[in-house]
Amino acid sequence: MPILNRKQRVSDEIPTASMADIAFLLLVFFLTTTVFNEEKGLPIVLPEQSEEQDVSAKNLIFFIVRPDGSVVVKRGESEQEQVVQYRQVEIILRQELAQNSNLIAAVKTDPNAAYRHMVNVLDEVKKAGAERISLQILEE
Amino acid sequence: MSAKKGFKRKSGASSDIPSSSMADIAFLLLIFFMVSTVFRKEKKRNIEWTTAEATEKIDEKRKNILHIWVEPDGTVYINDQIVPYENIADIVRPIYAENRELVVAIRGDRDVPYNQINTITEQLQASGAVRVTFATRVEQRVQRARR
Repeated sequence: MPILNRKQRVSDEIPTASMADIAFLLLVFFLTTTVFNEEKGLPIVLPEQSEEQDVSAKNLIFFIVRPDGSVVVKRGESEQEQVVQYRQVEIILRQELAQNSNLIAAVKTDPNAAYRHMVNVLDEVKKAGAERISLQILEE
Repeated sequence: MSAKKGFKRKSGASSDIPSSSMADIAFLLLIFFMVSTVFRKEKKRNIEWTTAEATEKIDEKRKNILHIWVEPDGTVYINDQIVPYENIADIVRPIYAENRELVVAIRGDRDVPYNQINTITEQLQASGAVRVTFATRVEQRVQRARR
């Protein structure tokens, strides 16, 4: 019975040599496709509730954000008002900060103004390098 | 003569890197990363982000960050639950008491009136959690020129 005696040529083992490659491939694939959702934003520290500081008017500059997105610049002491686009805020604030480093940038927003207008102005204030920022709401 | 002999001597140790255990190592790493990955379960809200050029990366552990979502219609969500404006302080206070390093990220839609955001910051002040970030996306110069 020669047929029964014939030995099978095909190996009955699982090939393990390529297993490492497959596993590492999976590993690298998952490593590269993982996306971490980073937390990004404009950080600010709110004042404590009881904390109320008296600030002399000459250390204040107001940026009043109006509902249409335009900004009114008002320096603390003078009554003079200047209407600008939000993009000019950075330049104005930079000049003011150069003269007075204790300046507090107060962003006063109209209650009906869209959030993005306020963020735009806050962005400019941050870019100008202001350390002391105050967020307020415009009261009628 | 003895030196010549030394040259001919064959080393008994194999010069191959043992590759039979490599698969086990790789799978072990794979399983380790799979098990140790933590997914945040919070549902994504449909908001339009505000953009800012001064956007900073917040270097804070994920567990120290609390998201407050403000949808375009003004609804506020904390941990997937609708929270009325006057209750925000009551919700945040115990979370802040548990974790003093808490940073609150306000994720507001760009068209929400500022009135709403101001109410939230006032509520946060009342709860004591004063470290706040206004979540934004990075604004590219190109985008700005197009507007």
